[in-house]
Amino acid sequence: MPFDVWDGEDESAGGRFVPLYVLVNGRTSPRDSRLDLATQVVALPVDTRLLDAEYLRIVDQCGNWISVAEIGAYLQIPLTIAKVMVDVLVEQGYLGVGTPAQSKIVDRHILDSVLAGLERL
Amino acid sequence: MERTSVKIVVAGGFGTGKTTLVGSVSEIAPLTTEEVLTEASVGVDDTTGVEGKTHTTVALDFGRITISPDVVLYLFGTPGQDRFWFIWDELAQGAVGAIVLVDTRRLESSFPAVDYFERRGVPFVAAVNRFFGECAYTEDEIRSALELAPEVPLVWCDARDRGSSKLALIALVRHALGRLSPARA
Repeated sequence: MPFDVWDGEDESAGGRFVPLYVLVNGRTSPRDSRLDLATQVVALPVDTRLLDAEYLRIVDQCGNWISVAEIGAYLQIPLTIAKVMVDVLVEQGYLGVGTPAQSKIVDRHILDSVLAGLERL
Repeated sequence: MERTSVKIVVAGGFGTGKTTLVGSVSEIAPLTTEEVLTEASVGVDDTTGVEGKTHTTVALDFGRITISPDVVLYLFGTPGQDRFWFIWDELAQGAVGAIVLVDTRRLESSFPAVDYFERRGVPFVAAVNRFFGECAYTEDEIRSALELAPEVPLVWCDARDRGSSKLALIALVRHALGRLSPARA
């Protein structure tokens, strides 16, 4: 079984050795399908001492409202993984979630405020 | 919780200035996030010559404009490669609409984007990027080449210029508002 013999080379490869699916407990899609890449999340004031380091890095990014896409960009986590990890944190009460970037087209009130905001730029 | 995000998609063919436009109006330097695709997600024809490659990374550039303490707008550029349509679906879902950037040297490169948003009923404006110099076409010629419906606004812009990009965004939001059913009095 020569292919099963560890060649001792992985120390030199650098980078992450834990497959990403391990980080998300084998989950492949967010439980909460409302989670969009623009959805805003924020850290809740709860004890994070029991959190794994990979999750803690995310919570630490969320001192202010931030999108899932920004978390992925800042922490260099692929979007799909970031989404699932954020979802786990929301489910476990570490993160609060804003009004999801919508499963339906935004309403007139929000469009009006976006228009006004752009005109002020 | 009181925090709402809205999205605008910035689309167009490869090299039409999408990231330039995002960067000119964003309050942060454009960020890049990556989506990792397994081979099954990628068109079979595209893996020719890369046998053994099991995943592909698609980069998404985006920027942010804080509208108010409660509302934040994200501008997402579509991936350079048109074939990743399911990422377009994710970007377009729930979006205010899209700006389709047009490079007059290669009008046809923006046609897939026009076609995409037209088919899905997503509000969009065509923004002719003047970055590329004198335009050899009239508005009518561009509309005809892109098969733009009469109600689709066409604006001229310079994606490098903040004020100009802002006007393209405003044109889109006005267009999206106009397509909503009339407000209840």
